[in-house]
Amino acid sequence: MVDFLQALVDGVMLGATYALLGLGFTLIFGVLRRLNLAFGPTILVGIYAGSHVGLAWPGALAAVMAVTVAAAILAGIYVERCSFRALSRQAPVVSMISTFAVWMQLQELVSLFAASRTMPYPSPAWLPAVAAGPILLRSDALLMWSGATAIMLALFVLLYRTRFGTAVRAVADSSEAATLMGVNVAAVGAAAFLVASAVGGLAGVLIAQSQQQVTPYFGLWATVKGLTAMLLGGAGSLSGAVVGGVILGVVETQTLWHFGGQWRDLAAYALLFLVVALSPRARGEPSL
Amino acid sequence: MEFYFALATLFGFRILLGLSAYVVILTGQISMAQAGFYALGAYTAGAATALWGWPIVPAVLLGAIVGAVFGFLVGFPALRVRGLFLVIATLAFTEIVRMVFLNLKYTIRVGDRTIGPAAAEGFRGITYYFENGWSSLQIAGFTWLFVLAVLLAFWLMDRSRAGVVLRAVGEDELAASSVGINLTAAKVSAMTLGGLVAGLAGALYAHYATYLSQEEFGVLLASFAVAYPLIGGTGSVLGPIAGVLFFSLLIDGLRFLGDWRNLLFGVLIVAMMNVRPHGIIDVRLVRRLAALLRPAPKRAYAGD
Repeated sequence: MVDFLQALVDGVMLGATYALLGLGFTLIFGVLRRLNLAFGPTILVGIYAGSHVGLAWPGALAAVMAVTVAAAILAGIYVERCSFRALSRQAPVVSMISTFAVWMQLQELVSLFAASRTMPYPSPAWLPAVAAGPILLRSDALLMWSGATAIMLALFVLLYRTRFGTAVRAVADSSEAATLMGVNVAAVGAAAFLVASAVGGLAGVLIAQSQQQVTPYFGLWATVKGLTAMLLGGAGSLSGAVVGGVILGVVETQTLWHFGGQWRDLAAYALLFLVVALSPRARGEPSL
Repeated sequence: MEFYFALATLFGFRILLGLSAYVVILTGQISMAQAGFYALGAYTAGAATALWGWPIVPAVLLGAIVGAVFGFLVGFPALRVRGLFLVIATLAFTEIVRMVFLNLKYTIRVGDRTIGPAAAEGFRGITYYFENGWSSLQIAGFTWLFVLAVLLAFWLMDRSRAGVVLRAVGEDELAASSVGINLTAAKVSAMTLGGLVAGLAGALYAHYATYLSQEEFGVLLASFAVAYPLIGGTGSVLGPIAGVLFFSLLIDGLRFLGDWRNLLFGVLIVAMMNVRPHGIIDVRLVRRLAALLRPAPKRAYAGD
């Protein structure tokens, strides 16, 4: 029972970062109606840049975080130019294939400049672990959860309480209607991409400080987790992405506890396949 | 000469893989499951010759059939989703297959060697060609026998009613179903056929490689499988071949760039998608060529 609760708590903490990744996907998908598979590799670029700064100036945690987010945003702008703005008249699938190609580029880029295959990432080591009864809350997981929750709240305020957020949701609802109401759809799309990249960069900081290292496989990992979170939540719903991320986190940690580490990713992929193939909403027109 | 035979064999696998994605793309579906079918065919056929002592031809056919069965099974849930979501679902399938082979342990001892899928260590000892003393010319010839058979079959299919039905579904599902085409049958049979060809390609590959590791059958292989027909064009069966040539020439032609090669590779694909979004050999090019080759129709003039 304690194992179950511990796995549940760990899952919720982990799920908060999955929720952030899912929100990044949902923002882009909701506004542009296109999938950005290079979202994970965008974050990868950020984390590698941060890792280099961490190696050069040990202890400069704020600089590491700032560089991570800035590099993720830059990579996001590059993806937007190559695969979305340039191909906006082509079918959505063309954009997606193109993001695959950009993915390869970004992954190669970080490998070229990496000193070793696994790069270290600094983490605030001074935080103590908290024990709540028999359940242990690891400090990095707690930081991950609270950071993710704070970012999510800020994102929801941005999307539901500001003029920009209204414009984003209007475009997601119907880009024709939004155009008629005087919304600059192209500009909103680019801005949503920027916001998504920034959220991705912040999620990257939280995940990397918890794992304390990063490999080029992170790109694939982040893309799959974000996609699963988004699709579990019904593809296009912001609150759905949050719920989807938490469900994914809990399923993963429970599999880890009961069946062992090698089945953890299998469970995540099986969940993704079942959700996409069986859910009635997956083929309906999603709305943000 | 050895080098060219090996190259021809490798091209054979790539063309088969491209053709397996091609037949699915004809129905307007983009499937990333081809790498999964390829892996299933490879492991099954490898186990058939190395563990169960089967001869090569039935083993390769078994690999193809296993690919087809899984293609059929994936085809049904895939009916519910389209476009981007189908890509994601089939990608998940490929990763599930990979994870299963990552955990699968089924080995036997032959003398002092351990043969069979040994989880993360990979599948060693698929040495049928070696044991039977096949030369690289024989291996290339055996592979191309299947490549040519599949090419011929697809060429004939394209010119038959079946090809028209598949393309009609790909063009416009609603229009196709309103003229009485059974969408379920068309899509599931395309998926099954794609699974068959991918399984066949995997089965042949397993015996050429002699060693299989689940890492090879991931997203990268799946994206290459769909990139061959998408870049090469889906106008005719020659499209996937053009795609294979495009990629293979790029990979080797850019070798002088060293580590920067893969970076430029991605740039070139992005550029290609901007220049020819429907591929090198698209439907329009095929029609134009066909019009050139066909004798000009007699013109009827007023007063004749």
